Amino acid sequence: MTNILRNNLFPKEIHTLLRTLSNVGFFDRSTLIGSWVMPIFQEIYHATYVLKTLDVDFAVHVAHSNSCLRADLEQIITSLGFVDYVSAGGVQKFSSGGYEVEFIAHRKGSRNDDAMQVREWNIVAQPLPLISLLLDFSEEALLDDFIIRYPVPEAFFIHKLIVAQKRRSPAKQSKDLEQCAVLMNILRDDPLLHIMESVRLGRGTKGHLRTSCTALNFPLHRLGL
Amino acid sequence: MKVEENDRAVHGLLEEEHRRCKDILQSLLDKMKEYPKGSLNVRKKYYKDNVYHYHYLVSREGGAVVNRHVPEEKLPLVREHMKQREKYQKEIQSYRKRIAYLERLLKIPKLQRSRDKHSS
Repeated sequence: MTNILRNNLFPKEIHTLLRTLSNVGFFDRSTLIGSWVMPIFQEIYHATYVLKTLDVDFAVHVAHSNSCLRADLEQIITSLGFVDYVSAGGVQKFSSGGYEVEFIAHRKGSRNDDAMQVREWNIVAQPLPLISLLLDFSEEALLDDFIIRYPVPEAFFIHKLIVAQKRRSPAKQSKDLEQCAVLMNILRDDPLLHIMESVRLGRGTKGHLRTSCTALNFPLHRLGL
Repeated sequence: MKVEENDRAVHGLLEEEHRRCKDILQSLLDKMKEYPKGSLNVRKKYYKDNVYHYHYLVSREGGAVVNRHVPEEKLPLVREHMKQREKYQKEIQSYRKRIAYLERLLKIPKLQRSRDKHSS
């Protein structure tokens, strides 16, 4: 059964953006990620959270680096009134009314931080590790008359536990852990263990998980650690 | 003690937002430079019984007003670029307002604010 979201869950600008992306098939494989997933969790799972960001992040699924153009997101998003610019790291971003839209792709193995050209959508995404965790474990919800995709809370939780320990900014780290603390009460054990069994995590990453779990007082055995 | 910790967390978020806004502002300013500044002006020239329209891009450079002729065939493109520039200006304005607001909240001294402004 598809989850149904309240029509006015997101501000008008974000709602329009999500609808536009959905209409071109972006949410077939790619997902909304970051803090803007929290209102969805609040709506579906009653995880109360106050949103404190204007960054709207999307995890983009890259099937093949040479895939042919499916939709020109640069043109589509700028036609919605956003202006595009290139950040210091070479990543393309879109801005409108204070909202900042960014696309993030999964970074495989190497530590190459170069921005990634995604031909399928004509955007330049930021490659980051562990994004596949969010892409592979996601679900859909009906918003108004279109479908959006977002990570399941268990995948979002595990991802946040890991990235919290990689943050340079203490404020961002505490925000990540705060989101985890909110989600702790709604997590189901089976999906948690299933995700943990499905992904290969290094010793360092498992260390990050342990550190975050200890900070949150979250039982390690629920993650199979 | 708890209250102080919470304050620090909120302060950190505001600082983060301030830094984010400044980075975006700089990127937007860089991008805006790609588009022509000024406004379009039309000059009419009368020759015999005909009226000829010549378009000029008027802008200020240093202290002087500069008129640059825009050929007829480039007019749609220049108009499009000027529209783009306007969009960027609007966005830049909103970030400047937000930065000013955050600087008041973060109590950043005016001297430092103006120093940062000149360096960006």
